[in-house]
Amino acid sequence: MSNKYVEMGMTAPVNLTWEVSLACNLRCTHCLSASGTPAKDEMTTAEALDLVEQLDEARVFQINFGGGEPFMRPDFEQILDACHEKGIMTCISTNGTLLTPELVKRLSRTRLVAIQVSMDGARRETCDSIRGNGVFDAAVEAVRLLAETRIPTSVNTVLIAQNANEIPAMHSMAESLGASLRVSRFRPSGRGADNWDSMHPSPAQLLEFSDWLAASGDVRTGDSFFSLTSQERQGLGLNLCGAAKLTCCVGPTGNMYPCAFLQIENFKAGSLRESSFQDIWDNSEIYKSFRSLRIYSCEGCSRFEQCHGGCPAVAYYLKNDLNGGDPECLERCVTSIADLHLAEAAA
Amino acid sequence: MASAGSISMTAAGVSVRLHPACRVRQEGFGLLFYDARGPRLLFAPTGNMLPRDYFDTVRLIDELPEGLSESQKSSLRKFTKQLVDKGYLREQ
Repeated sequence: MSNKYVEMGMTAPVNLTWEVSLACNLRCTHCLSASGTPAKDEMTTAEALDLVEQLDEARVFQINFGGGEPFMRPDFEQILDACHEKGIMTCISTNGTLLTPELVKRLSRTRLVAIQVSMDGARRETCDSIRGNGVFDAAVEAVRLLAETRIPTSVNTVLIAQNANEIPAMHSMAESLGASLRVSRFRPSGRGADNWDSMHPSPAQLLEFSDWLAASGDVRTGDSFFSLTSQERQGLGLNLCGAAKLTCCVGPTGNMYPCAFLQIENFKAGSLRESSFQDIWDNSEIYKSFRSLRIYSCEGCSRFEQCHGGCPAVAYYLKNDLNGGDPECLERCVTSIADLHLAEAAA
Repeated sequence: MASAGSISMTAAGVSVRLHPACRVRQEGFGLLFYDARGPRLLFAPTGNMLPRDYFDTVRLIDELPEGLSESQKSSLRKFTKQLVDKGYLREQ
């Protein structure tokens, strides 16, 4: 990642997360946005199509659709078509339960879409305990359907305490289904905050995952694990938080935020009902504050150049301090385990 | 990914165009390339030497905009070959 150029400021995000609806037919226990029922006053079709026009004018390369379950929104295919007509690449994060052969066939007409199907365990029992009964089988069937097309497909899993020892098996399972594996980080927002204590991976699990990840170059993580990844893996992805610099988030009602994990009033950068996308991107004080965010407490760390302080969202939720450094970074995992061993030895 | 095959593509006279999985836009420093296959980014400090839509049409690999100095042309030729080797441009 060329930080020098990123710090010069981008004319627009490289990609953005657009949570098109909070509506979801599942109630996953780790859901970052506590999805279920639609948000009050979600964007209309006309507003959504206008946003696509604005994103095209800004030359945003890719839109990552999420929610909620995007396919719960009746006009979602219309929004997708508008993106593809403009040549905007799209990636859809879905739970897979609403993907029918007919829908998959329609989606496969373009080469501009990629799909991530969420699954949270290699074992049916593990996955269904988090996502609901029958979801594992439905998701596997969705991946099978997608693998018969040319749509790039990945299995997306959130690393939690309950599935940490199944990640290598998920890698094999995804491969056997004809998909890649993408691992996302569990964050304490939405229902993830409610269930943080029982679901967050331990420092030992994070370290084990970090080692496995270093040896598994085909596993994707986006920017979610740069605080844990090895130097060798840095070339595959980011080494700093891209919020408000390379990416941002649009919520279901048209509010803009630095990232999907900070969709709260404190971090509202603006509303598309009051300002244009470009105006918010260029002038939001929230975005400006993220662009100048410096994690001074981490600058003395030997790994600083590899993670630049990690994920501010996790620091905010766990320490109420955006500048506090990522509490789950590799260094802190190592220190935490060493402290535990010392305490055991002293006891 | 660079390979013996892709290196041979960079011979003069070869026509190239932006790969369908790639996009490019103008930034203050020059051109920002995006490859959805990674995804990955390429920050190219080309200033205003190359318009962002330059590779939207098929170009000879050595073809460059008018009005550039010899040193600029030399840098851009090397850069264009890198784009081919990295997969951002593909042979037509």
